[in-house]
Amino acid sequence: MTSSLGEPNAAAIAGFFLFIALSLAITWWAARRTRSTEHFYAAGRSISGLQNGLALAGDYMSAASFLGIAGLVALSGFDGLIYSIGFLVGWPVVLFLIAEPLRNLGKYTFADVVAYRLRQRPVRMAAAAGSLAVVAFYLIAQMVGAGNLIRLLFGLPYEYAVVIVGMVMLAYVIFGGMIATTWVQIVKAVLLMSGAALLALMVLAEFGFSPLALFAAAAERYGPGVLAPGRLVTDPLDALSLGVALMFGTAGLPHILMRFYTVPDAATARVSVNYATGFIGAFYLLTFVLGFGAMVIVGQDPIRAVDAGGNMAAPLLAEAVGGRAFLGFIAAVAFATILAVVAGLTLAGAATLSHDLWVNVVRGGYASDHEQFRIARLSTLVLGAASIALGIAFKGQNVAYMVGLAFAIAASANFPALVLSMFWRRFTTRAAQLSMLTGTIGSVGLIVLSPTVWVDILGNDAAVFPLRNPGIVTIPLAFLVALVTAWVAPERESEWRYDEVARRLHLGEAPEAAADSGGAV
Amino acid sequence: MMALYFGFILLVAFDKALLGRLVAPGLSLGILLGVLVILAAWVLVGIYVVWANRSYDRRIAALRRGQ
Repeated sequence: MTSSLGEPNAAAIAGFFLFIALSLAITWWAARRTRSTEHFYAAGRSISGLQNGLALAGDYMSAASFLGIAGLVALSGFDGLIYSIGFLVGWPVVLFLIAEPLRNLGKYTFADVVAYRLRQRPVRMAAAAGSLAVVAFYLIAQMVGAGNLIRLLFGLPYEYAVVIVGMVMLAYVIFGGMIATTWVQIVKAVLLMSGAALLALMVLAEFGFSPLALFAAAAERYGPGVLAPGRLVTDPLDALSLGVALMFGTAGLPHILMRFYTVPDAATARVSVNYATGFIGAFYLLTFVLGFGAMVIVGQDPIRAVDAGGNMAAPLLAEAVGGRAFLGFIAAVAFATILAVVAGLTLAGAATLSHDLWVNVVRGGYASDHEQFRIARLSTLVLGAASIALGIAFKGQNVAYMVGLAFAIAASANFPALVLSMFWRRFTTRAAQLSMLTGTIGSVGLIVLSPTVWVDILGNDAAVFPLRNPGIVTIPLAFLVALVTAWVAPERESEWRYDEVARRLHLGEAPEAAADSGGAV
Repeated sequence: MMALYFGFILLVAFDKALLGRLVAPGLSLGILLGVLVILAAWVLVGIYVVWANRSYDRRIAALRRGQ
């Protein structure tokens, strides 16, 4: 079949502009409500459970989910589904271990929780290193996805596309803060869910509304192997490592954790996870249909011809079943998806830079609200510029793989320290610092030494480290470093203050008061 | 939940043939289990939230009053 990808598509352009106009309108509305630091980072803690659930789903279902997983399933069948399932099972972990304590203990970032009873500066500096590494890898993936999408649809050069995405995102994060970002996420989540559902329905219509008939058709055309685990995860250890990273990574993603501060209390935080899991689960079930649909209806070779990584499988499928106008709609949805995730990431990065580094490290915890607000906007600007530069520098990288790495770093750098700080009395400042640094440096280092970077990108003969995903080594290592350090050098004050942490963890108190007393050490 | 998921991942890692077996035309055991893991995650979260928002929060509130 022939595809119009690469030529300007009127419906897609109209869709893009409609979404941009809509998000700017939301920004204008939100800007009038964003008057303080609290509004900028946490939307005044006024978001409801359903709204936050949708926004969480919006933050989570990135370009890697919609474009990447559909592509992986289309090209390798069952193996792509391992990502779908892995991305979802992290949520119960977030709920059972993280959501409520986080809401009860922190103010704007997850470092608030880790640093609560420890010495602020060293902990926050290490936490910032981990958070920024995660945000950077995640941002690169989104920017690369956006650049490719716009290049393929408009015939616009990749670099222009990246700059445009960066500018629009900056406009609404700087002026609208968390309120605008949340509403953009909600609009995007609804668009994405309905777009994917519609596409899946149109695919199923061709198979008598039976997913089984679709799977059978796929097996008939490409062999029964597509319904079973296969070549994408040949090594058992690699499969396990990816699984661990996906499961614990969610609980360490700064932009997801930050969302729990936008709701009024722990009960709402819980409800929002329930909604989010429902939406995300439904969406990943749809990816089963989309991926196999693209495999059968579009065919593997045409998908590979357009993009070797398979990232364009969903748009191609839309064109095959719904024509160019529908392609335009799906492309606009994918664009909205990327823009919204980039905004959420930038906001999380800005919170780390200004709240953790500037206010608590440079100014020692004391800065006027006016100053914090100004620094927050300035940090957003810096991060926006950085994300544009990174997007251009990493042109041509694989989108889903980069996101997998962001999960591995999050699971190694942030997750162990976060859990230990909440549930282990003997945790110490030095342990937190070393654990987060080990997780960050270890996972990034092993990624560089892995077959993907060392052999495929740097062109060496054999990889120094055999696994493609470092999670299974670096997560236990980060825990081990923390345990050993705390055992060798205990910290009295931290142990004493644990009772206070435990009480607040379970009972909950006003988060504003919480962070203030935690900040004054 | 972790047991469910790691059971699934271990099957993926070590027993590919089993997951490839067809339980119905077009439906392999692997796909069926995958769908079930997703549904199970959602159901478990739902049960926990209902339990927490009903009985757990009430007991927390009682504790707080008693402070």
